[in-house]
Amino acid sequence: MSGDSLSWALPLARFRIRDREATTLFRELRKPLLRYLVCLGLSPDEAQDVVQDAFLSLHRHLSSGGSQENMRSWLFRVAHNQARNRQNSYERRFSSPLEDGVEAVLDEATPERVLLEKEKFQRLGNAIRTLAGAERECLVLRASGLRYREIGEVLGIATSTVADIVERAVKKLAEKCNV
Amino acid sequence: MCEYSGRLIAWLDGELPDEEATNVEWHVGQCVECRKAVSAYEEVSGAFLACYEAQMVTKPKPHPWRWAAAFSGLAAAAAIVAVILLGQPPAEKLSFHPPSPPSPALAPIMAASTRIPVRRHPVAVPLHRQWISEEPVVEVALPADALFPPGAVPKGFSFIADVRFQQ
Repeated sequence: MSGDSLSWALPLARFRIRDREATTLFRELRKPLLRYLVCLGLSPDEAQDVVQDAFLSLHRHLSSGGSQENMRSWLFRVAHNQARNRQNSYERRFSSPLEDGVEAVLDEATPERVLLEKEKFQRLGNAIRTLAGAERECLVLRASGLRYREIGEVLGIATSTVADIVERAVKKLAEKCNV
Repeated sequence: MCEYSGRLIAWLDGELPDEEATNVEWHVGQCVECRKAVSAYEEVSGAFLACYEAQMVTKPKPHPWRWAAAFSGLAAAAAIVAVILLGQPPAEKLSFHPPSPPSPALAPIMAASTRIPVRRHPVAVPLHRQWISEEPVVEVALPADALFPPGAVPKGFSFIADVRFQQ
């Protein structure tokens, strides 16, 4: 192999690896990102736009030789910031669709389960309403499968702070739900 | 309150160092109060997860231009059908002009020439139906400034690329 072909082959091989990683991340994280953004209060269409923008940013980041460490929290952070920018630019507060999730759970359940669990989920919906913004975000990111360290990277806070917020939020929910 | 109560949720989440997690696990086995608390945290975390997973994420709405293309395709198919039907010599009109009685030898040829072929299923319609029903597998939004030099495209324009895989 000549030196010229080697110098072309290496960047191309790196590009293929980056491309494959980006595709894997897209398959793995597209739905969790969409759910997270909808939980933050974006409409499904807005969430789709933000996720597309986030993966476009990922492509630029990898193409420019950016770090490939902690890509999950990187993507969530980009999506989180874009969602906040949209919130600020439209000057509106995020709605609280998680409470609607309570109704959706009951809609999908069997009639017996509805009878048994309706009251429990209604209590949960009321309890979620009492959560502070940071508590809600931490719990949604935790439900998305992120570790405390990753949640801290997304929200720009220390891991120990995340642990405190999660503990406070879960205890608050347990207390309000009376379980 | 038990001294371990502040570490139970982190332990459930697998966030404690190995040694500390072992200690908490042993303690939970001994302490009724902590076992009850762990059970409550698990239940409420599971219910929260169910609410999170129930968040409905609808499919992206088709873009207006796609519908416009689909309807223009259907309109084109309808126009083709109309041209085919209207372009044929109308049978009723011919009947107003009684032809001179053909000779018996020419009767089969005359019958064949007055028959109107009607295409009931134009070719274009199934193709367009198939195109409409396809959902994009991957949809990528590209900002205009990534494709064109600055100023070439008015601000706010972007392009959508649909990526489809064929079996």
